[in-house]
Amino acid sequence: MKNEIAIKVEHLTKDYGKGRGIFDLTFNVHKGEVFGFVGTNGSGKTTTIRHIMGFLKPDSGDVQVQGFDAWKDAPHIKSFVGYVPGEIAFPDLSTGTIFLKNQAELLGVKNMDYANSLIDKLQLDTSANLKRMSKGMKQKTAIVAGFMADKDILILDEPTTGLDPLMRETFLDIILQEKSKGKTIFMSSQMFDELEITCDRVALILDGKIIDIAEVASLQNPSHRIYKIEFTNQKDYEKFKKLKFKIVRDQQKYFQVTIKIANSSINQLFNVLKNYQVKFISEVKQNLEKHFKDILASQRQVKIVTSEELDKTHRQKRIEKRSLKKQQKLQKEEKDDK
Amino acid sequence: MINKALFKQSCKANWVKWLTVTVATCTMLAIVIIVLGNLAINDIRDSLKEVFAQADQEATLKEDVIDSYDLYLSAVDGTHQIVVGVDAMFASYDQAKEAIGSSASDEQLSAIKNQVAAGAIQQFGDLLTSSGMTQEELQASIITLLGIYDFSPDMARNSAISTITAMLPTQIEQLAQQQKLDEGATQEEAELAGQQAKGLAEKAVADYLDKSSADDFVYSQNLFTASATTEVNEMMYDQVYEMQIAQGVDAEEAEINAVAVKVISNTAISTYQIWQQTYSEDGVLTDEEKTLAKTEATKSISDQIPDKVSEALEELGNMDVYGLIIGSIFYRIAGLLLPMVFVIMTANGLLAGQVDSGSMAYVLSTPTKRRTVSVTQMTYLLFSLFAMFALLTAVSVISVWIVGGNNFAINFSEILLFNLGAFLTMFAIAGFCFMCSAIFNRAKYSLSIGGGLTIFSLVCTILGLFGSSVVPSAMRITQMNFFNYLSIITFFDTTDILSGSLAWLWKFGILLVIGIVTIIIGIFRFDKKDLPL
Repeated sequence: MKNEIAIKVEHLTKDYGKGRGIFDLTFNVHKGEVFGFVGTNGSGKTTTIRHIMGFLKPDSGDVQVQGFDAWKDAPHIKSFVGYVPGEIAFPDLSTGTIFLKNQAELLGVKNMDYANSLIDKLQLDTSANLKRMSKGMKQKTAIVAGFMADKDILILDEPTTGLDPLMRETFLDIILQEKSKGKTIFMSSQMFDELEITCDRVALILDGKIIDIAEVASLQNPSHRIYKIEFTNQKDYEKFKKLKFKIVRDQQKYFQVTIKIANSSINQLFNVLKNYQVKFISEVKQNLEKHFKDILASQRQVKIVTSEELDKTHRQKRIEKRSLKKQQKLQKEEKDDK
Repeated sequence: MINKALFKQSCKANWVKWLTVTVATCTMLAIVIIVLGNLAINDIRDSLKEVFAQADQEATLKEDVIDSYDLYLSAVDGTHQIVVGVDAMFASYDQAKEAIGSSASDEQLSAIKNQVAAGAIQQFGDLLTSSGMTQEELQASIITLLGIYDFSPDMARNSAISTITAMLPTQIEQLAQQQKLDEGATQEEAELAGQQAKGLAEKAVADYLDKSSADDFVYSQNLFTASATTEVNEMMYDQVYEMQIAQGVDAEEAEINAVAVKVISNTAISTYQIWQQTYSEDGVLTDEEKTLAKTEATKSISDQIPDKVSEALEELGNMDVYGLIIGSIFYRIAGLLLPMVFVIMTANGLLAGQVDSGSMAYVLSTPTKRRTVSVTQMTYLLFSLFAMFALLTAVSVISVWIVGGNNFAINFSEILLFNLGAFLTMFAIAGFCFMCSAIFNRAKYSLSIGGGLTIFSLVCTILGLFGSSVVPSAMRITQMNFFNYLSIITFFDTTDILSGSLAWLWKFGILLVIGIVTIIIGIFRFDKKDLPL
């Protein structure tokens, strides 16, 4: 069951022009998995989610949810998908209670016990006027509306925005609880820490393309660890460098080295260090944020160049066009003069 | 196809708007109908109408007066002819007697008398047919007169003249009566006219005989114009006075009215005389010239003012104020404005507004089909519009019933058609606004195109009103009618309904088709488009 695919995105492309949109996205979300989706603003997270919800028609490629086409079978898919939209705007109704009741009717939910338990957990006052709700309250109301039908698949577009830190904790608890119930959760976010806590896998999207999909478990329990070691004198420093440890970073000024070492060789390292004058030793923690930032940093450099080039070519083309026109004009005038 | 929860949601979201617009529009309509029904807006119209009616009456009166005047003079003329004829008769008798000499035998004398009498019968035979006298009787009386003539010529002449002239009024009476009948008058009217003519003729005969007894009498019509005027004036006076008294008008008022008529009569005759003088420069008046003079003398106000002005005034008098204010202004402009605002706002809010804000996501993240959403929202829009116009119809019918009878010119079937037309217009507009709402993802585009064109239509109808036929020609600018070609409201033509033509049927059909087609386009488009939710 673990490998059954809940959401399948294949070569999904939606081109909005000027480099905006999503391009050739391919990924699968397995059943019972919590799949994170991270990226900068405008990188295509919401566009991808809208395709999964069947709100947008792909230019090419396709999206399947439990084997059903997301565009053609959109209404059917909704019978096992719950959704929390990224942009919170409620229908023109007076209070949260009325809205949730109306939503329950639309969803065909008759038993409000689960919804009420969510309301209690999130400490939401539903009797408040929808228009006068704070951002956090609106977000909580949207979360309750998305979760209350207890659907198998949950699609959450930045569900924690506007929540205070305590509420975020509560919300992440709810996510973990849902996960333990075996639900598939697809969730976009800009907060690495919350994805790290909840997700099995996290995809990084940049400019409409998936750059990397990271397994959170392997990041948390890596096969290699990274240590930063500073020596008190240059002699030890130089001597250590000659050993066969893999040095990632070398800072001569401080007699500092950063090494990457397999878990199995840690004892060996400490045995070696017994004979050296070590000022300090610390482990450099690996996490999702660092992982992606490293990738982004390398990607960006390339990206920036390319976009600059793009700009340049655009500008050049324009200039060329203009000069061409000028030439034509001049030629015409000359002809006229003749 | 219809989602109950969504329908309820739309009701909750829009009921305040709906109620406000409905109450305001119904109140406006009730006030307009009740105020119009109770105010005597017809007074000015009626007085205008009366002016023209009076002018026409006066013209007929003047014609009668001039006819009577002519009749009097022709009676005088007839009398003169008779007198001349009688004199000629006795002269021929004298001649015949002289030819035979004084030794004439009785047989010869009676032969002469018979011959003269036969000549007289030939001359005055026309008069006989109308008087009760037969030829034999006339012959006998002439022979008797000729006998008297032998020893008392004056007495015989006077007797002959009075016998024959006495027949003239009867002849004139019969001629006048026949003429009236030929003109299509009733027997009663003809008899009355005959009697009047007879009376006038009798007076004319008496007048002639009176005047001719003077020693220096030389016949000329001019001698009788003054008495003709007086007699006709008096006759008109008497006629009106008696008629008024018979109708129960008190004596004083009757006298005033009679005098007024007398004045008109006097004016008409003097005008006629002046025109006669003007036309007959050579002193002889032909029939043609007489007719011309009569036409000039009988001109009424409406003949005197320029045609365009009199047409405009007459049109103003005939203008249907109720049709203009209730039909063209309320149902096509004022009463449509608020429902339009409701439809523009609601249609936009039902789809485009919710897509733009993103709240549509909550509906579409449930197993509700897009088709169900669009059909439900369309149903709500049409349902609310229908409810609004059902109430408006009820209010209009009740209001018309309340003011009914107070010469309120619009009947129930017309007011029902007005409501139907206004509803169909709004149906077409609602369809169009709904289509815009379904096509656009941004509320601003849906509002500017759906609402913009709708308000544009209304404004064009307001401008076009000044070029349409319901506005009196004095205020009309025909070129402004161009605006009517730019407005969908033109298909709702209240003048068709009021004039009883059936052209409204196909126009209403077009409105219905526009509404249905736009709704279908909207529903299909909403199924297939990208939604930024």
